[in-house]
Amino acid sequence: MIRTLQQILERAVERLADTSMTYLPPLLAGLVILLVAYLIARMVRWMFNRMIKASGVDRFLLQSGISSMLDRSGRLHAAQLVAQTAYWMVILIGVLTALNAFNTELTTRIISSVVLLLPKLVTAALILVAGVWLGKYLGRSMLVWAHNEEMPWPRKLAAVVRTGIIFVSIVVAADHLDFARGVFLAAFVLLMGGAVVSLSIALGMSTHYAIKRRLEEERPRAEEMEEKSLWNHL
Amino acid sequence: MTGDMAQQVLPDAASHAVAELRQADIVIGIPSYNNVKTIGHVVRAAQGGLAKYFPQFSSVIVNSDGGSSDGTRETVLSSQIEDAHLLMLSTPMLPVHRLSFPYHGIPGKGSAFRMIFAIAQQLGAKACCVVDSDLRSITPEWIDLLLRPVLYTGYDFVAPYYYRHKYDGTITNSIVYPMTRSLYGLRVRQPIGGDFGMSGALVARYLQRNDWETDVARYGIDIWMTSIAIAEGFRVCQSFLGAKLHDAKDPGADLSAMLHQVVGSVYQLMGEYEPVWRSRSGSSPVDLFGFRFDVGLSPIEVNLDRMLNTFRRGCHELAEIWSLALLPENLEAIQRLARELESGAKNFNIPDALWARIVADFACAYRHTPIERGHLLRSLTPLYIGRVASFVIETETSVSSQVEEKIEDLCKAFEDAKPYLISRWKNEAVNLEQGVPSTEKAPEHVKLEA
Repeated sequence: MIRTLQQILERAVERLADTSMTYLPPLLAGLVILLVAYLIARMVRWMFNRMIKASGVDRFLLQSGISSMLDRSGRLHAAQLVAQTAYWMVILIGVLTALNAFNTELTTRIISSVVLLLPKLVTAALILVAGVWLGKYLGRSMLVWAHNEEMPWPRKLAAVVRTGIIFVSIVVAADHLDFARGVFLAAFVLLMGGAVVSLSIALGMSTHYAIKRRLEEERPRAEEMEEKSLWNHL
Repeated sequence: MTGDMAQQVLPDAASHAVAELRQADIVIGIPSYNNVKTIGHVVRAAQGGLAKYFPQFSSVIVNSDGGSSDGTRETVLSSQIEDAHLLMLSTPMLPVHRLSFPYHGIPGKGSAFRMIFAIAQQLGAKACCVVDSDLRSITPEWIDLLLRPVLYTGYDFVAPYYYRHKYDGTITNSIVYPMTRSLYGLRVRQPIGGDFGMSGALVARYLQRNDWETDVARYGIDIWMTSIAIAEGFRVCQSFLGAKLHDAKDPGADLSAMLHQVVGSVYQLMGEYEPVWRSRSGSSPVDLFGFRFDVGLSPIEVNLDRMLNTFRRGCHELAEIWSLALLPENLEAIQRLARELESGAKNFNIPDALWARIVADFACAYRHTPIERGHLLRSLTPLYIGRVASFVIETETSVSSQVEEKIEDLCKAFEDAKPYLISRWKNEAVNLEQGVPSTEKAPEHVKLEA
């Protein structure tokens, strides 16, 4: 009995030793890699901060309105953004390299998925940023145009344009990532189709009212034009 | 622009005509677009002016047309002074060459002027003047008053000086005149009057520039010409022309587009001539030729309720865009006025100082956020309408001399706001270097007055 217990203990210690001999060196190597990556990341962040500050990218971000889009206070600095991105990229590379030191099937799978997904994630993020920027810009164009043309509900029209463009960019980004592609596309088609059908019905139902109102407004409009023509701004 | 480049601006027919004429001392340019009702009168006045005051000079009248379909060009070519004896000429009246060509390029007054200037340069003109084709009050004396200072007293640029109804020329009175005066320090009362005289040297300078394809091609041309003449040190004077009576200027024209083109040109030139305007303070009068006399003016009716409503709607809907340009305290002041208006306040008034700061804020935003320029300028319309409404209320019972005093007060407010403009302009530049948004607070050393 005691002999059996002794054998079990010996095998357990042997397995522990084996496991330690197998995993301890890669673990230590991984930790060293992480430490080095951390130091490099800090250095890279410092360098980018210095370099970008002198390049005028902040001016571009501020002038284009991208900084106020990403950060409501508008205080976002390109140097900060790029340096932080580079910092986390180096950390990520460090983590992947550290994982690679274990050389197991699981870690290899994780690394290959991350490496494959990362460029897609970056592209999708860029698509989203561009979509949000374009949505805001065209929303403003719609707002000013609708206001100057005395259209009803300019802010709502602007919101529709903004939301529509952002939604399209989400659909494109999701499609690029192969993420719930069917769901987003179906939602997009349903929404667009719904909007078109609603507009058609609304247009059809309101046409005769519109024509009636138009005829009623014709006279004051003519008077208005006459008045406008009297007033010379230049 | 060299002779070859000037040639490129001209259509073939114009080039051939210029080659045939070879030389002219004076060129009178008339831009037009469907002005058949009035252009005959303008051409006859120009002919009369040349015959009566400049018989010793060789002259050409050039009509630069934007594709009229109502017979404008035919009218130009067929207009003749029938009762020449009424002009009491000292020499027999000789025929004046008249040319009429459609111009090329972006449709607009600026493109029309470009062709006129190119012809003037090709003909080696000593003096050139341009007059609007919709004028009903032009007389032969206008030609004398616009050209004589150039031909006999060495001026390079003659701006018009008219009496106008108090509600006529509201962009001039509320933005362009005060702004030009405070920036460049000269009191040119009608900087976008439309009728100007110029020396050959100034015409050559205009043609040298490469910004003809911008807003300059349209309504921006007048302030562009005036600003260049002042900022580049050409000799500038004014001539009193009496009353300006004219057909409505393109009644279908979109006000916000017009405002965009004119104010955009002012702001664009501010960027170019920054060292000039930053070094000038106050303003000085400009020589004024011609005998001044009182004139009767056609009344102009405005719909005050609609204007106030436009302003109120703008405050409600466009605050998001205004916040890109206006300091929070200025935006708040405007929104307070709108709230008071909504609560039924009768004494609506946008104070001169506030208006001057608003125009300055937009100038700084125009410079520093090029991507948003279109939005900013187009969103200015309800603010401008609000300011005009305020002016209409303020001057409802005023006679013209009192109205001029009000405009003088506004100009002083613009001159007083110049340190504010310079400070914000500088601050914006510093902020941009540091990547910090600039619509956060007023420059500390600039006192804000309501």
